[in-house]
Amino acid sequence: MPDWKSLVRERLEPHQPLAHREEVVAELAAHLEECYAQARSEGLPDHAAVELTLKQVEDWQVLATEIVRTKSEEDSMKTTSHRTKTVLLPTIAILFAFGLVLLFLDRAAILQRIIWMACTALLFCVVASEANRLNLRTRSVWLPGFVTLTAASLLMFAEEIVLIHDPSFYFTDLSLRPGHLISGLPRWFYIGWLMGQVLCGALGAFLSRRGGGTRAARLVAGAFPALVMFLLCGLVIPLSALFEHNTFALSHPSRLALGILIWAAVPAVALLLGAAPFLRSTTSGTAAL
Amino acid sequence: MTKRIRSKIARGSGELAILSLLAEQQLYGFEIARQIGERTAGALKFTLASLYPLLYDMEKKGWVEGRWQANQAGRDRRYYRLTPSGRKQLAPLKEEWRNFFQALNTLAGVSHA
Repeated sequence: MPDWKSLVRERLEPHQPLAHREEVVAELAAHLEECYAQARSEGLPDHAAVELTLKQVEDWQVLATEIVRTKSEEDSMKTTSHRTKTVLLPTIAILFAFGLVLLFLDRAAILQRIIWMACTALLFCVVASEANRLNLRTRSVWLPGFVTLTAASLLMFAEEIVLIHDPSFYFTDLSLRPGHLISGLPRWFYIGWLMGQVLCGALGAFLSRRGGGTRAARLVAGAFPALVMFLLCGLVIPLSALFEHNTFALSHPSRLALGILIWAAVPAVALLLGAAPFLRSTTSGTAAL
Repeated sequence: MTKRIRSKIARGSGELAILSLLAEQQLYGFEIARQIGERTAGALKFTLASLYPLLYDMEKKGWVEGRWQANQAGRDRRYYRLTPSGRKQLAPLKEEWRNFFQALNTLAGVSHA
């Protein structure tokens, strides 16, 4: 009986990447060994059993190439995913949490801008390198959603820098404190931002579609900033009433409704408008081979 | 039929066969090939060269997971088992093949068993 491990190693040697070579050699050799044992148990003489076993592989070079392709792609996937999971995503999570704390405390507006920009840059890195490697929900909902949210926020900051010289108004508006909800905004600021939301919605739905998202996933990714705003309104107002004893929004429902309309409902429509062209299905319903 | 289409059909049927088998129990490569040959009365045959690239590819996709452990004879074998993601693939794959055979049946009177 041949030494199957040596035989496999010898034939794969010029092609097989080192990292997986011994594992693959062991597995393939074990398979050949079982084929040989089966042939022998069926009564074949040694040389005939060896000959039959070797017919398992017509072309070792083709097999080696196939294995190298699969295994090296797997290696690169593991390396990149590891980097994303241990470096990029935790960094984004920490920065995002820190940014949210500053946002709620109304502190360090400049630092907040830097944080959101860093989050966006890191998210784009993740999307670019991991889109096809993360699970379907992450790549079609969460990542496009957060990219859209950050893009929408950045757009507001950019406009703020260009159009507004009082950088505090955005945050005080969001906090829905007495006196701030009614603070006026330049008309062009709001209209410009709203038009930008159309692009953000398109970006979210596009990224979701590229990540293999269903129509529902594309809708969620496109409208993500508005969904977050609805959620924030639902959280901030009761929390503010509970911890700050600020019942202004609750005792002025018409103003609260106006705030939600301006900062969540109308933007939601704009976002969905942008997402609409990417909601159409791109695949036919035929059975895939 | 072109070689490319034949290859796709073979690959698709191979994936379905392996997923179906592993849905029942974890198996190592030789056992997968043996059981597929036995259960299909030799209609589907896997050689080493056709089986392992497919298995490694399915492992890369996260459908199956390989793990070394000793078999009944005490020899180390790499056992494959279905992952939750692989289990999710099974029903849609079956549906695709059902549609495929129905389409062929309509066209050429070819029906599956």
